[in-house]
Amino acid sequence: MPGVISNDLIRGHTDTIILNVLRQGDNYGYGIYKRILELSDNQYELKEATLYAAFRRLEQDGFIAGYWGDETQGGRRKYYRITPQGREKYERDCRDWEFAKTILDRLIRGGDENDG
Amino acid sequence: MTDNRPLDQRIRKYIDDAFRDVEPSQQLLDLKEELTSNLREKTLDLCRRGLDEEQAFREAIASMGSLSGLAEEMRSLSRKQSQPGHPAIDAHISNIGLVLGVLLVLFGLFTLTMTYYMDMEPTSVAGTGIFIVIGGPVITYSVLTRETRRKQGMNRLRAFMHAVAVGLLLFGLFSAVTSRYATGEMFIAIGAMMVFFLAGTGLLLYLLLTNPDRSKGCQ
Repeated sequence: MPGVISNDLIRGHTDTIILNVLRQGDNYGYGIYKRILELSDNQYELKEATLYAAFRRLEQDGFIAGYWGDETQGGRRKYYRITPQGREKYERDCRDWEFAKTILDRLIRGGDENDG
Repeated sequence: MTDNRPLDQRIRKYIDDAFRDVEPSQQLLDLKEELTSNLREKTLDLCRRGLDEEQAFREAIASMGSLSGLAEEMRSLSRKQSQPGHPAIDAHISNIGLVLGVLLVLFGLFTLTMTYYMDMEPTSVAGTGIFIVIGGPVITYSVLTRETRRKQGMNRLRAFMHAVAVGLLLFGLFSAVTSRYATGEMFIAIGAMMVFFLAGTGLLLYLLLTNPDRSKGCQ
């Protein structure tokens, strides 16, 4: 996996990424992991250990809710669904991201035209 | 599906080892079950993509990342929760209860035999049985709340209800014997016994049928 996205950069967005996956339907740990890999076109793999820590945090804060599936073979899956508060948080995060993206772009690339 | 037993055991052992020094709790059991079923599914996925079981298992674990952060989180969680739960105090109460309960039952048995040989009235002889009736529930409560290597202690309310059930059964027997000697009538004895015995049996049956699994392993 090419290490183009630094962990520092993605760390602050793990929660939003998970909320984005769950916004599109309930899912379980490995399913969410696969979906993230898929969304990144196999360019980014979020470690499962990070993922589970985030589930616990999001669940405690009431942004997602866990429930057990009724699989009989090979152990039950724990599914997560997004709560209304989770949706609100996702919308907020998106706005923040748009704002940060614009500012960061200016900070990282801007300035040339002013040097004249 | 093929037999995945050895693989299942390896996965379970890997997860168990990762959380070995974390105090058992429902949250820990849930997390372990969640991790186990997901790790298993991932390994099988990799197998389907052509890896052999050994490679798939290693690959699945490696890509999972270190579980030490999660283990640390669970540890601090159980530390926080041990304040209201007081497992140490529960264990203490259980020990004291067990000693007291056994002493009460023994005391009851001794006085019973003693008064029997003292040629006292049968009513008084039977009356000493009350110590056994008290000791029984105390022992029941203490044994059930005890945490062992393989089982978590029962919660206090549930253990208390078990103790009440045992107490009712014993008291049923006790009242049967005493009323039999006090009135000399067997039907009164049976009648006196019936009320308590039925209540006790009902309660105990209900508890036994609804007992949650307290074993600590995943299976």
